[in-house]
Amino acid sequence: MTELMQAMDESAALEMLHEAGCTDGLPVVIPTPERVEALVLATGLDADLQLGTMGPGNGAATVGKVATAAVMAGCLPDHMPIVMGAVNAVLDPLFDLAEMQSTTHCTAPLILVNGPGRHSCGPVASGFGALGPGHRANASIGRALRLCMINIGGARPGESDMALLGHPGKFTYCLAEDEEHSPFAPMHTELGFAPDDTVVTVIGAEAPHSVMYNGDADDPEDVNKLLEVLAIGLANMATNNAVLTGGGAVVVLNPEHAKILHDNGLDRQAIITRLWQLTHYPTEQLSYFSANFAARIKSDTYQCFTKPEDILLLMAGGSGLYSMVMPSWCAGANRNQYVSKKADVEQFCEVPGLVALLD
Amino acid sequence: MRDGINTARLGIPAVSLVTEDFWPQGNFVAQALGMPAFPRVQLPHPLAGTGSAHLRSVAESMVAAIIGGLKND
Repeated sequence: MTELMQAMDESAALEMLHEAGCTDGLPVVIPTPERVEALVLATGLDADLQLGTMGPGNGAATVGKVATAAVMAGCLPDHMPIVMGAVNAVLDPLFDLAEMQSTTHCTAPLILVNGPGRHSCGPVASGFGALGPGHRANASIGRALRLCMINIGGARPGESDMALLGHPGKFTYCLAEDEEHSPFAPMHTELGFAPDDTVVTVIGAEAPHSVMYNGDADDPEDVNKLLEVLAIGLANMATNNAVLTGGGAVVVLNPEHAKILHDNGLDRQAIITRLWQLTHYPTEQLSYFSANFAARIKSDTYQCFTKPEDILLLMAGGSGLYSMVMPSWCAGANRNQYVSKKADVEQFCEVPGLVALLD
Repeated sequence: MRDGINTARLGIPAVSLVTEDFWPQGNFVAQALGMPAFPRVQLPHPLAGTGSAHLRSVAESMVAAIIGGLKND
């Protein structure tokens, strides 16, 4: 049974939560029993149901605790399928959450949403500024996962979360794929899910790095130049992907760059295969920058990604010159793999009296 | 939009060219700078990198609208 904190009013409660290290440093919604109960109800699950154990503190991730974090983050009941999907993803042993939370690297769980839940559970933004402020679902869902990682997983900066600097995506890091405008099949369908599934994919990722490319339809090398700059961003010699190798990474194409690739006959598989090929480097190059890390490689060349499918590729954002890449940590037992989970949208309940409660 | 308004404030006739995706931003800037009715012409988006033939075609199709804007028709 969870012990309830007592406070004179919500302002005092907020200060208590800050003092106890239970916030991300920003004000939170006070998780009163009524508010938590409403979000538990929205999951259609029992509050005491344990979803898994969250490292590095090995806290029991119950539905009630996840709902508490979601209340604090400002989530609505509609957001809960995505929150639960994201929590289930990071609890998968393949995700290496305890290691990721503890590393000195700057990594945060990037939540990618596909399928109809982008609309019904949000809307989760996928257009202009999707990774920036102003999108409630994106902000609240990503923040809910972070507050779980703090309060269930026990991550505290400089104590159990040893990120040297961290990055702003550690507050929230969530967006959807712009499936309606993308020339490619929705990402989740190429990960083995059905088009009607709502899927949450999570990967520990660095902050987004901008990749500028000004297309030129008159240049026969246009598409190759775009692929080359994307590859440079994904795995330049300053990234873990080029030094540690073997992890995943994300490419978020803006609509113009997606069009260039599509108009040149490339689908998602062809693009990630080309990016995988373009990130095969001479071992001598790694030896120059990181002799210790190069010592394990016995061949003349090495590859930054084990296989093309380790690169997640989606389209989102406004139309312009800039795409984004997110390199990753590439460590942990499973080398920073991404994990995708189907969100159980069907199980979620209407919350009686919700309007009155929110008032 | 900002350049067009600043140019007009110098007494030089101006019309702003705004691509489709940036049309709402153009409206916002025009409102913010106190000239919500400032003449502008909508261009297709994207334009950059679409090739010289396409750019020429767009330019030719927009000439009348640009002149209309300058004349405040």
